[in-house]
Amino acid sequence: MKVTQPPRWAKTLLRWLHPTNTIEEVEGDLDELYAYSYQRSGKRKALLHYLLNLVTVVPPFVRRRQQKTKYEQPFSLSPDMLKNYFKIAWRNIVRQKAYSVLNIAGLSIGLACSILILLWVQNELSYDRFHSRADQLFRITCSAGDFKAAVSAAGMARGLQAQLPQIKAGVRISKPFPALFEVGEKRVEEKRVFFADSNFLQVFSFPLLSGNVATALKDPGAILITQQTAEKYYGTRDAVGKTIRINNNENFTIAGILANTPSNSHLQFDVIIPMKTMAKWNWDLQNDTWNNFNFYTYLELDEKTAESESAQQNLLQQIAKIFKTHGATAKIDFQLQPLTDIHLHSNLQIDLPGHGNIQYVNIFFVVAIFILVVACINFMNLATARFERRAKEVGLRKVVGANRYQLVFQFLGESFIFSFLSLVIAIGMVYLLLPVFKILTEKSLAIDWLDGKLLLSLIGIAILTGLLSGSYPAFFLSGFAPVKVLKGKLRVARGNLLFRNALVVTQFVVAIVLLVGTAVVYKQLDFIKNRNLGFDKSNLLYLAMTGELGEKKQALKASLAQNPLTENFTVISGLPTTLETGTVDVVWDGQTARNQVVFPSLDVDENFVKVFKSQVLAGRGFDESFSGDSSSYMINEKAMQIMGMNLGNAVGQNLTFGDTKGTIIGVVKDFHFKSLQYAMEPLILRLNKWGGVVMVRTTAGNNEQTIKELEKINQQLNPAFPFTFGFLDEDLDNLYRSEQQMGSIFNLFAGLAIFISCLGLYGLSAFMAEQRTKEIGVRKVLGATVAGVVGLLSQDFLRLILIAIVIASPIAWYAMNKWLQGFAYQTALDWWVIALAGLLATGIALFTISFQSIKAALMNPVKSLRSE
Amino acid sequence: MRRTYLGEFEELVLMVIAIHDGSAYGVTVSQEIEEQTGRVVTFGAIHNTLIRLEEKGFVTSELGGATTERGGRRKRLFEITALGKAALADIQHLRNRLWKLMPDDILKLSNI
Repeated sequence: MKVTQPPRWAKTLLRWLHPTNTIEEVEGDLDELYAYSYQRSGKRKALLHYLLNLVTVVPPFVRRRQQKTKYEQPFSLSPDMLKNYFKIAWRNIVRQKAYSVLNIAGLSIGLACSILILLWVQNELSYDRFHSRADQLFRITCSAGDFKAAVSAAGMARGLQAQLPQIKAGVRISKPFPALFEVGEKRVEEKRVFFADSNFLQVFSFPLLSGNVATALKDPGAILITQQTAEKYYGTRDAVGKTIRINNNENFTIAGILANTPSNSHLQFDVIIPMKTMAKWNWDLQNDTWNNFNFYTYLELDEKTAESESAQQNLLQQIAKIFKTHGATAKIDFQLQPLTDIHLHSNLQIDLPGHGNIQYVNIFFVVAIFILVVACINFMNLATARFERRAKEVGLRKVVGANRYQLVFQFLGESFIFSFLSLVIAIGMVYLLLPVFKILTEKSLAIDWLDGKLLLSLIGIAILTGLLSGSYPAFFLSGFAPVKVLKGKLRVARGNLLFRNALVVTQFVVAIVLLVGTAVVYKQLDFIKNRNLGFDKSNLLYLAMTGELGEKKQALKASLAQNPLTENFTVISGLPTTLETGTVDVVWDGQTARNQVVFPSLDVDENFVKVFKSQVLAGRGFDESFSGDSSSYMINEKAMQIMGMNLGNAVGQNLTFGDTKGTIIGVVKDFHFKSLQYAMEPLILRLNKWGGVVMVRTTAGNNEQTIKELEKINQQLNPAFPFTFGFLDEDLDNLYRSEQQMGSIFNLFAGLAIFISCLGLYGLSAFMAEQRTKEIGVRKVLGATVAGVVGLLSQDFLRLILIAIVIASPIAWYAMNKWLQGFAYQTALDWWVIALAGLLATGIALFTISFQSIKAALMNPVKSLRSE
Repeated sequence: MRRTYLGEFEELVLMVIAIHDGSAYGVTVSQEIEEQTGRVVTFGAIHNTLIRLEEKGFVTSELGGATTERGGRRKRLFEITALGKAALADIQHLRNRLWKLMPDDILKLSNI
């Protein structure tokens, strides 16, 4: 009898959809049932029945039969298995010492780098967060066009608080106010002195060690000093009630001792003087002016406003409205800057010094991760490269019943042993290197090893490292087919080789990008330092006119002029490093609309052009022979352009600056009077009638003597004040401190990244050479030269590095271009910088490989071919 | 020890396996249940129940030898285990006990 069969398409469907491990019996059973119902009720019904049954045995309805394991397996975490894992791991570490050292060295250097960088990042991010209401504190900043500044007017804090209920409190802080402090014989010029409103301590959370928080800043004759300052003057922190003489003319009582300013505060002070003291002589404070921007104003907002962006916008509009009612003429916009943003997110003029840069924080964070990745790649590469050694072990384990998960677990465990071992070494390294790193970054970084959060994050990093570096080897090694492995040599899978090569390329991409970064940072620094500022900055010595020097200006000038060493001098109002004054209150001939550009100004005397060696392009400089010069102005080229004049017609035009009407007598060639981060701004030069800073042009080699002469003059005319001086070029260099720091940190980590990459490359080339011992032997017997063999072994790596250069170049170019955009004056990003970095990386890599390849090439072929 | 729960359909299938004593497979179980109960059961229900019973340890299974029948495809033959037998006995025991507690007149059809 012919057996009736269901249609072929239905059976194909069944085979396709049903789980494979039960398809045989189910297909047979269904055939039988079909034949049975075909006999009983005919073809149509049988097919219908068959299809119904089919639907019920395909997913999602079907239940899958679990594969039954034939043998009992020991639990992966049973003590016996764990013991075995540890034993094998330890044996592997000990047996292959070179490999273990390479691995652990790479990982621990990488970990140490990352820990150091992360410490720095964490410190940068922690700024000003220690205040108990840090989220509610904002600083008023202002902007007029492109000119953004951190200051606001004296009357604003109180005026705004009275009218706007959202503002819970307002504190004004003066600009730093260097002053001479005197206790007994001790006389020191303190630089970090501020005047602050009486609610300073209530709004900010600077702890007061002794004294009364509520009344400390109420009495104009009392001041607060930090513990450090107290110890400096009195040798003890119990200094409350003692007196201190300031600027040789006024005595103050110490009302309280502040804890030292936390290093992660943007406000760095040693002395706080009540604002009332300043009000005795300061015009701004006496008149509660809304027009002079000379104070930092901090507002404490209520919680609702502090949280919502729109409420703040609303508040700003109200502030603008109130500002207008105070007779403001200039168009000035205000912003609210969160306290916690001040350190990293501010790029304002007239700000307190020492701010960080969020860009650098981001860059270094990424660098930390990359260095860790480079170290992990080493581990992966070395582990997979020497897979043959472990392959037999894997095969045997599988034969006696290990399943894949157990093997993955074992290899991951091994990488965890490596990563934790490295962590311990890395912690030791960090401990040793921290003092050096502190000097490099100029930060007081401290590690509290007992801090739970820190320990947890360290362990987290170690686990992450272990996972990252162990995962690929674990899955790769555990995937071997035992029969193939045990039968003979396993052929290297192409995919594995490709993956390993990709990893090497990644390493070198990181290294080259970091190298280019270092080169560009240094090139930019060099560019800035050597840029022609428009005046000769070398050998310019300055002496600030403190104390009695201001009053004895004529005597000072006379004694300076008498001495041949100091006769080449000029008195200007401020150093051309950071000019802080400026106004929009400028009117000139032919002006069409109200001026909106901020014009900084500098007061100079008749000698300025000669001493600074700047260039007068039209007209003349200030001159004693012209009696009317006190109402004359000089302008720079930029100002001339803004005023719409040219060299031919500028001289003789009328110019009103502030309240003083005068004429333009000369145009001076643009010279830089601010950091090169800012583009050239217009400048108005006025005749200096009061004082400021004495600038002396010395001749090379005579600096020491000139300083001595100046000290003598200071001693005669200003005996109460200690002699302080400076070199202008040093101050200018200091403007680029953070860039310089970034350069040296970058340099360090680029070097380390390359070193770690080379460790890996060294190990990899060693294994490659070892694998090809026989090939090299045969080649040598057939007449290959040493150079030929070395070339053969190097070319594989060389190709990888060339690929890395190709990938790294655009990345580096893009990243560094972005960084350079932060400068108004940028160095060119030449192609040769990238080429040089690539060449350097290639050279270092070839040098690393050469150890192994030359050794392999020099080996006697008899030795390598003898054993079979 | 708490016994594994045995559903009504599972109980039926288990009993059929016990009846056939080692020669039960998908088709026989399916046909037997259809015959005895008159219900139409899908093969999927049988298949899943067999696997579930095996997972619970009430039956064991083995692939039978290859034959010329059904294109040489092997059958999966099921056999009841001691645990399965105990479970069936338990159920019957429980039912008997409950029947004994039943008042005599409650189920007389005439009362309905």
